[in-house]
Amino acid sequence: MDSNQVIIIKYIQDNLLTGKGEIELTPEDDLLGSGLLDSMGVMRLVGFVEETFHIKIPPEDIVIENFMDVKAITNYVECQHVDNEPSPQ
Amino acid sequence: MLTELDVKRGDRVGVFLDSSLETAIAVYGIMSAGAVFVPLDSNAPPARIAYVINDCGIRHIISGKKQSRSLKKVLQENISLEVVIGIDEKLPVKTVSWEEIAQISPSQTVSVRMLEDDLAYIMYTSGTTGTPKGIMHSHRSGLAYAKLSMDLYDVRPTDILANHSPLHFDISTMGYFTMPLAGGTTVLIPESHKLIPASLSQLMEKERITIWYSVPLALIQLLQRGALEGRKLDSLRWVLFGGEPFPAKHLRSLMKLWDKAVFSNVYGPAEVNQCTYFHLSELPEKDNAIPLGYVWNNTEVLIIDNNDLEVGDGDTGELLVRTATMMKGYWGKSELTQKAFFRREKFPNAAEIFYRTGDLVWRKSDAQLMFAGRKDRQIKIRGYRIELDEIESVLISHPYILETAVYNIKNEEDQAVEAIVVLSDSGRETEENIKEFLAARLPAYALPRRVYFSDKIPRTPAGKIDYKELKN
Repeated sequence: MDSNQVIIIKYIQDNLLTGKGEIELTPEDDLLGSGLLDSMGVMRLVGFVEETFHIKIPPEDIVIENFMDVKAITNYVECQHVDNEPSPQ
Repeated sequence: MLTELDVKRGDRVGVFLDSSLETAIAVYGIMSAGAVFVPLDSNAPPARIAYVINDCGIRHIISGKKQSRSLKKVLQENISLEVVIGIDEKLPVKTVSWEEIAQISPSQTVSVRMLEDDLAYIMYTSGTTGTPKGIMHSHRSGLAYAKLSMDLYDVRPTDILANHSPLHFDISTMGYFTMPLAGGTTVLIPESHKLIPASLSQLMEKERITIWYSVPLALIQLLQRGALEGRKLDSLRWVLFGGEPFPAKHLRSLMKLWDKAVFSNVYGPAEVNQCTYFHLSELPEKDNAIPLGYVWNNTEVLIIDNNDLEVGDGDTGELLVRTATMMKGYWGKSELTQKAFFRREKFPNAAEIFYRTGDLVWRKSDAQLMFAGRKDRQIKIRGYRIELDEIESVLISHPYILETAVYNIKNEEDQAVEAIVVLSDSGRETEENIKEFLAARLPAYALPRRVYFSDKIPRTPAGKIDYKELKN
């Protein structure tokens, strides 16, 4: 589990899972299809990812493929950072 | 399989599933066994689910792996459940897995004698007093709805409906009853797509959805976060919405985007499923309310005053509905059922039964019905009559306000009105400014004491504003 995944998992566990009891989230756990997150939780998670990793996520990128589990989120974030890296002089 | 598990004709069987193919199998399997399906909301508090199970005596539940965590919490409550179908784990009750069900050959199914008058399903809704009421529907009322909606919307075998509502909300009856009757297709929208509007619109495009039917909130979410500009959704013929008034400004935006579809308002309490319709032939004017519309077939209505006497055209009164799609009554609640019905003794021993909706309406000269508010949304403060819904519609006309809910707080000494608003992403506003905005448009006695800001409005499992929770 890389450090980005740890950060996101901690945020979800601390803020978005109230009332669900003790859950040990893994990077591959289904966030969307299993009732772990609700509509508000998804929006807050998107906001958290944007703030923490300094990216702006356009609406057409907020799709299941990029947010279904923590692994998908970090893959997306890493792709964004690669795209934004300045090319070597 | 259900009859082997001792499910008898008329038994109530719980369906504890979310959007999945198993839900359809459960619904039809239960009805084929002559039993009554009772949708259970897996997101509801365990105590409430236990209440429903005990209230109508559910001994069998059909469920699935994804509901396992929630179901185990329910099993800790004081209920007398005997069998759970669909979970392959060790539970304190007998379990049967979906794999075992799949082993059964169709030739082993037992045919059961049933009548159209038999109960087919019970949908629980929250009563204003707090305890849920089980609305009993028969095969006759369910089938009447399927036929009427099939005819009204001219549903064809080529039609493809997107089902967004959960089974415990009667909007789902179009997907589960009407479409199969018409030979059309129902696409059950997965839970993940309900959370991510941009993926939902992608699914609608891929499946070439021709009919959409949901609460306004789902459509507003698509409008705001569904990335609709990039989607080709010209296959949409009908966009049906109901359950709550649809703010005109959001509706107009959506109608402009999906200009080939006919947008139509559906009105009807769960006790009667649907009773009126209104097809929008032009963009709604800014703050005008959308009509409830025309009464559909096999249905008649009465508009009465506080003395149960009919009012004249144009006057406001409570709507009473008599229809083929009506419930039989509330499960186990004789007094409440009796109060909910109005009997018109046209001929002795052949009373006509109307359901009291608790909704206030008035009739236009062309027979269109117009919504005038809920009986319980009209309050009196210092002798003045206030329509809470009217304050809401003024608030929603504010350019930065996305959603709002207005409610009254009552204690021994007095009563006051409060409002909660959700601002749009780019909106910045203060409580003072909003109060000034209202003061310019409403009489002084109708101004809320406080205006709170929030990022969401509490809603019931059916997606409607949860006024009860706001009052607490």
